[in-house]
Amino acid sequence: MMSKIVRTQANFLYPFILIFGFYIVAHGHLTPGGGFQGGAVIATGIALVIVAYGYDRIKSWIKKSTLTATESIGLLCFILTAFIGIGTSFFYNFLANSGLLFGDRVSYGVNPGYLNTAGTLPIMNLAVGIEVLGGLGAILMYMMSYGKEVDK
Amino acid sequence: MILDIIHILVLIGLIATAYLAVKLRDLMACAVMLGIFSFLLSLEFFILQAPDVAIAEAGIGAGLTTAIFVMAIRKTSRWEVEE
Amino acid sequence: MRNILMLIVFLTIFSFFMYVAINPGDFNSQTGEHFVFGSPKFTDMDNYFIHNAQNQTGANNVVTSIVFDYRGFDTLGEASVLFTAVLGVGLALRLLRGDKK
Repeated sequence: MMSKIVRTQANFLYPFILIFGFYIVAHGHLTPGGGFQGGAVIATGIALVIVAYGYDRIKSWIKKSTLTATESIGLLCFILTAFIGIGTSFFYNFLANSGLLFGDRVSYGVNPGYLNTAGTLPIMNLAVGIEVLGGLGAILMYMMSYGKEVDK
Repeated sequence: MILDIIHILVLIGLIATAYLAVKLRDLMACAVMLGIFSFLLSLEFFILQAPDVAIAEAGIGAGLTTAIFVMAIRKTSRWEVEE
Repeated sequence: MRNILMLIVFLTIFSFFMYVAINPGDFNSQTGEHFVFGSPKFTDMDNYFIHNAQNQTGANNVVTSIVFDYRGFDTLGEASVLFTAVLGVGLALRLLRGDKK
């Protein structure tokens, strides 16, 4: 556990980091960024809390099994979304320009950007974001759980 | 013109933080220097018009690796020992 | 001795990078100008993606449409690499039977 300054700052900062990460994931098909970058930013928010409070306090809030399950669910969603388009080919974007969910058309050129576009890309962004968040968080929790803190 | 000056300052900062990360004896300071190095590198990527890579670098380089280094240093010794 | 070796290696790499940065490069006969550092030699694929990605996938961000649609297999490999990394960390740092919980 770190000093009170670090803990107060972590309490103040981590909601903003999480919101920014989810923004990057949700707008992955419109603005720079995407699933991997957004998941990494969310994992940074988790890392801030873990470093500030230490493993002994954190292990009752965040479970390692939850994070690994999140990672597996994200990877499964990604592969399933790729498999649904197997009628044409693997990774076929079957929702784009179809008029259904995320199916609006976009013409070539500059436009303000609409959320309801891009077919399967937002779904894959969300899946990869969840996967990266779970994976990096699980790595952090495993690294934190091993060994003992040395008093100097 | 002002962008060029910022660019040169970022490059000088990259070299300075890399040198300090090698030379300092306090390992916690070295980890912080590596964090600053990654942040400046992400700024450089942004100047070179690669915002995707900049976000990935800022998230993983400046955030996660610094956190992992801080964790590892807190579980081992903080000062570099002369052999 | 060691310092001199380090200096030689540093100067070699530094002069190589400076040469690459300053070098005007090959002459392009189609457009009549030199290739500068950082501009690709063959641009057919880039132009295809830039002109067709918005119509075909409907995404404004061309990078995301390449990563998740045109080159989806690469992203699948990247995701499985991350999965394998978590597997390796979990195997290396798991609590053994003798360790205290």
